Amino acid sequence: MRSESIDNRLRLQQGAKTGMTIAEPDRSTENKGASTMAHAHEHLVYIHPAPVRVWHWINAFGFVLLILTGFQIRYAEILHIMPLRQAISLHNYVGFVVIADYFLWLVYYIGSGRVRIYIPDLRQVVTMAVRQAVYYGYGYFIGRPNPHEMTPDNKFNAMQQQAYLAIMFIFLPAQMVTGVLLWKIKGYSEYINLLGGIKVVDTIHVLLFFFFTAFLLIHCYLATLGHTPLAHFKAMVTGYEEAGDREETTEKH
Amino acid sequence: MKRKTGSLFAWGLLLMAACCLWPLQCPAIDNSECFDCHGDTGLTKESTDNILNTEITESLYVDEDRFDRSVHNLNGITCVDCHSDIEELNYDNEVPHKKNLKKVCCASCHEQAGEDFKNSVHMKLRTKGITMTCYACHGYHYVRQMEGASVTERENSICLKCHNPYQFHAWLPSRSSHFANVECVVCHAPDVPRHINLKIYDLVSNTFYDSNRLFNILGVDFDQLMKTVDKDGNGIIDPDEFETLVLVLKQKNIHPVFHAELVADISSIAHHVNRGTAQKTCRKCHLANSPYFKTVEVVFNRDDGTVDSYRVDRGVLETYYVNHFYLLGGTRMKLMDRIGLLILAGGACAVGLHLTARILTIPLRRKNEEESS
Repeated sequence: MRSESIDNRLRLQQGAKTGMTIAEPDRSTENKGASTMAHAHEHLVYIHPAPVRVWHWINAFGFVLLILTGFQIRYAEILHIMPLRQAISLHNYVGFVVIADYFLWLVYYIGSGRVRIYIPDLRQVVTMAVRQAVYYGYGYFIGRPNPHEMTPDNKFNAMQQQAYLAIMFIFLPAQMVTGVLLWKIKGYSEYINLLGGIKVVDTIHVLLFFFFTAFLLIHCYLATLGHTPLAHFKAMVTGYEEAGDREETTEKH
Repeated sequence: MKRKTGSLFAWGLLLMAACCLWPLQCPAIDNSECFDCHGDTGLTKESTDNILNTEITESLYVDEDRFDRSVHNLNGITCVDCHSDIEELNYDNEVPHKKNLKKVCCASCHEQAGEDFKNSVHMKLRTKGITMTCYACHGYHYVRQMEGASVTERENSICLKCHNPYQFHAWLPSRSSHFANVECVVCHAPDVPRHINLKIYDLVSNTFYDSNRLFNILGVDFDQLMKTVDKDGNGIIDPDEFETLVLVLKQKNIHPVFHAELVADISSIAHHVNRGTAQKTCRKCHLANSPYFKTVEVVFNRDDGTVDSYRVDRGVLETYYVNHFYLLGGTRMKLMDRIGLLILAGGACAVGLHLTARILTIPLRRKNEEESS
C-alpha cells in the first residue's frame, strides 16, 4: 500500500512518470492566510484513482441529465426544456450509461478490494458520525478542525460512509432496477406485478429521484467545504487531495 | 242520421278485419325460422372464388348463441331487418328465399358512421381498386357491444386484422405499452372522444373477471353494488367511495387488480381515420390535466353480451387502488409531488442555512484563527 501522504518531491516525480501535471498550490492564499494552511498545501495525497474519477464524472453528468429529463418527463405541462419524446429517449440512453458506469465502479471497488472504505466500523460508527455531525453543525463555523482526516484507506468520514453505503448498495441499484422496469413496462410486466404494480415501481423511482436531486444539491455544497471552495472539485479531476484536511477550516471563506 | 251511423259501423268492421288479417298478408319472419336452417353447421353453398375463379364451398352457418349476444340482437334487430330482401319463406322450394340476396347496407341504419367513413383513408382505398366493406372490420353476425371490450379485443377484432403496428411506430417510446393500453383510434381518429375503462383483472388466471361470476360471489347485482358504493348518489365514484368498492370485493376474498385502458368512445367519428392526421403529440396525453382521460368508467361485461358501466372520478387513477396503471406524467400522484417538494425543500434549506451560517461566521473563524496563530 502506498504511503498515505507523500512529499512534493515524490509527488512531482510521480507526476513526471505518469505524465500528469500537478498544479502548484496557490501560495498567495497561504501568504495571506494561516501558517497551518501553508503546511497543508505542501502535501498532496492521491485519494481518487483514475477509474473512480472517470466513474464519478460520468455519474455526475449522467445524474444531472437524468434529473433534468426526469423533471421534464414528470412535469411536461409546466416545463418546456425539450420535447417530451426526446426527454424520454435521452433519459433512457443516459440511464443505461449510468448503469454501465455503476458496474465500472462496482468492478473496480470489488476487484481492488477497496470496497471496504464503504464499510463502517460498527464499533465506532455512531460516535464518529455524531462527532462529524457536530463538526458540520457547529465546529466548522468556529474554525475547529475536521475530525476526519482523508486518506486513501479512509476516504470517507462516518457520515459519508453511511450515506454512500446506502446510496451505492441500496438506493442506486433500486433506482436502476425500477428505471429498467419502467423502460419496458409491458416486457417486464410480470416482474412489475411481483413488486406490486407499476405504481409501486414508479413511486420508488420517483421518491429516489427526489432524494438524488436533493442529494446532488447537498453533495455539491459539501464539496465546497474544502480548504478552498473548489479544492475537492479539483481533486476529483486530478486525483490528489490536499493532505491535512483537518486544517481545512482555517481557510477564511 | 241512422243511415250514417250504420255506414260508420260497417267501415269500423272493415278496418278491424284489415288489422286482423294484416299479419297474415305480411308475415314477420322470426329469427328461429332462419336458425332452423342456418343453425346447422353443415349448411353450405357452392360458389366461385372471384380471384382464382375456382369453385369454393361457403359455410352459411350462423352460431345462434353468438348472434344472441351480438349488439344487433340485443337491440332487437332481427335477421330480416338487415336481409330486408327476404320478404317471405317458401318451404316448397329447396331454398326458401332468394338464392342470391342483396348485400346488406349497414349505412342504411348507421347513417352517420357511413358519412364519417366517407372521409376516411379506408374509403379512399377505392381509388386503388380496393373496397373496404363494413364487415371486413366488424364482421357479420357477431358484432359485439364494444363499450366493455378490452384494447386487445378491440384491436384484434378490427385494426390488427390488416395492420402490424410494429411496422410504423418506430418513433413511439414504449411501443408495446402503448399498444397494450391504448386503442389505435385514440390516436388515429383525432376527433374521437376518449375515456379510461377500468376492469377487474385476475392476475392468477391472467383474465378479466367474468362479471356474472363476480356478482354471484358478491351476492348482489350491479345496481345494488353501485348503490352501496356510491354513497352520495351523485353517479360518480370518488376515491373514498372507490375504497368502499375495494373493501366490498376484499370481504368476498376477491383481491381486485384494476386494469385501466385508454379507449375511444363508441362513436361513428372513430371511422374518421386518415393518413398523416394521427395524434403524435405526447403532451396531448401525458399531462395531469389531459382531456383524454377526463372520463373514467368501471365496466362489467355480462355473459349475455350486455355491459354495465359506472362513472369514476379521475382522481381514482392517482390512487394505489389502480396500482397497475400509470400514465407517465398524466396520472401522477399529487402526494408524490408534495413529498418530493418537501425532500427538495429540505435539501435546499439545509444548504441555504449552512451557507448563511458559514458566511455569517467568517469573522468568528478569522478571529479564532488569528488567536490560535
